[in-house]
Amino acid sequence: MDKVFQKVISEPFQMFLKNILQFLPNFLTFLLIIIIGIILGRVLYTVSLRIFRAIGLEKFSERSGVVDLIRKGGIKDSVSVLLAKSVRWITVIIFAIIALRALAIPTIEGLFERFLLYLPNVFVAATILFLGYLLGNFFGRAALIASVNAGIKIAGVMGRFVKFTVFLLSATMALEQLGIGKETIVIAFAIIFGGVVLALAIAFGLGGQDTAKEYIKKKLKGETEEEKKDDISHL
Amino acid sequence: METCLIRKEALDKIREIKEADILVGIPSFNSAHTIGHVIQAVREGLARYFPGSRSVIVNCDENSTDGTMDIVRNASVDSSPSAPLSHKGNSVFTIVTPCHGLPTKGNAFRTFFEIANMLNVKACSVVDSHLRSITPEWLDLLMKPLLAEGYQYVAPLYYRHKYDGTITKNIVYPLTRALYGKRIRHPMGRDVGFSGELARFYLTKDIWGKDVAQFGFDIWMTTTALASGFKVCQSFLGTRLRDARFVQTDLSSMLYQVVGMTFSLMETYRQVWPTVSGSEEVYTIGSQRAVGMEPVFINLDRMIDKFKLGMKELLKIWEVILPEETMNFLYRLTYMQGREFYIPDEVWTKIIYSFAIASHRNVFNTEHLIKSLTPLYLARLASFVKETWESSSSEVEEKIEQLCLAFEKEKEFLLKNWGAERK
Repeated sequence: MDKVFQKVISEPFQMFLKNILQFLPNFLTFLLIIIIGIILGRVLYTVSLRIFRAIGLEKFSERSGVVDLIRKGGIKDSVSVLLAKSVRWITVIIFAIIALRALAIPTIEGLFERFLLYLPNVFVAATILFLGYLLGNFFGRAALIASVNAGIKIAGVMGRFVKFTVFLLSATMALEQLGIGKETIVIAFAIIFGGVVLALAIAFGLGGQDTAKEYIKKKLKGETEEEKKDDISHL
Repeated sequence: METCLIRKEALDKIREIKEADILVGIPSFNSAHTIGHVIQAVREGLARYFPGSRSVIVNCDENSTDGTMDIVRNASVDSSPSAPLSHKGNSVFTIVTPCHGLPTKGNAFRTFFEIANMLNVKACSVVDSHLRSITPEWLDLLMKPLLAEGYQYVAPLYYRHKYDGTITKNIVYPLTRALYGKRIRHPMGRDVGFSGELARFYLTKDIWGKDVAQFGFDIWMTTTALASGFKVCQSFLGTRLRDARFVQTDLSSMLYQVVGMTFSLMETYRQVWPTVSGSEEVYTIGSQRAVGMEPVFINLDRMIDKFKLGMKELLKIWEVILPEETMNFLYRLTYMQGREFYIPDEVWTKIIYSFAIASHRNVFNTEHLIKSLTPLYLARLASFVKETWESSSSEVEEKIEQLCLAFEKEKEFLLKNWGAERK
């Protein structure tokens, strides 16, 4: 009976206690690292917020349209606060990963190793998307203003088309960076872009035969009477 | 004496000339049809009005492909540096050199300033190579105030059709006058006179590495002279006719270069213009006559259509730049027809000042900001043409005077909002 008790209850319990005692220092280290991460995250939040405000990030983000973007997304925080929060959470996550490694559990170690290796891709993809948004806004606005000044009636459509195309290109690059359907994305982009251009060409060729004829005639023979230039010297 | 701006051949000539009293600069670009006439007029002017002076004609060419430089060389009776043309006791040397670096007007002028500095000249003038109407008298009008009357900058004054120089009339003249307090009627005149001292002062300015484009340089020269306290006057040169073949840049690029430079100079001289109130006449040489009014073709509907297109598409940009009351007026203007369509002086003044403030606050990229002004400028131009269609040149001048007074009166708005925080 004693033997049975020892085999069934005592030995596993002792083993359990032994494992607990072996695991406890790792767990305490885990907790300590997490606490340090949280404290450091808070410190870095305060410091980076001050730096972002000092370098005039708010003004820059207003000019570049980032403020509009985040407002449209329903976020009420300023760009400086958002970035400072990102710094805090990145710090906490990094410390959490280090802490999990300290637990020395092989499954978790493998999982986080893969996650850690994937993290730079996420960062690069986010940067590409962000730059794509800024460039899309810039070129979209330039196209809009140039089209209005040229008197093109569909100036708004042209501006939006340029903005959308630049952003779409950056989104494609970002997805490729993340390794999501690499070939599919590139082919899809080529099909969409090529399709739009083909549609425009067909629309202009069939629907705007007269306009195309008039345009070519004008280019070859000079200006028509209606488009005679003003006798004004602006300078 | 060493400079990286000027080529060795030109430097050798400068060393041989050693010193000169007068320098006449002629920047050129594909001016083969007109530059011969310009050189002839300059040589005659130097001989007639500055006998006994050592003079240098400098042609700085901006990469012409039509043989402009050869024409200048051939137009010199004797292009040898050591054998100047002697006519009634004066010596005229000719230096022909390509433009250093980017072929822009700014770099051509920089070459003139460098050579003027090296030769220690007393007076300089620069004339356009595309001129058809230049006469020898222009040299006297541009340089006599420098040599005989102690002035340091001579701005030109021309006979112009009422619809010539509409950016100058509606923006640059009123704005420059309100900012710096001097009534320089053509602050963007292409043909100017300046002292050797001012040429040396221009050289000290740090703009040479920047984009000093074709149209912005004239206003830079005038404003720098005004804001730096140099003695400025203007000379009446008569009619200004240019070679019709010369192609104009598109309107929005012209606006960007000229208005962009004026706004940029407001930053440079932000300590100067806020202290100025009102304006005063400047000494003017030569008798002014009214100019005849040839009939011209202007399509007002096209201008108004562009404004309406701007209202439809650029509204979000303008709403950030312009005050609410101005925007309310523009909404109403969109529905105005015929004679009703009109932008009053006070509204136009606020529009220009608001754009200056937006540029100062970096609300948008400067090029986008100023190019978005184009439809508004066209609306103002349509108003100006409607208002002055039947007017004589003196009546048009009266209208411009009223606009200038509005700019001076509304300067308070500019001062109040310049330093204020963004709305």
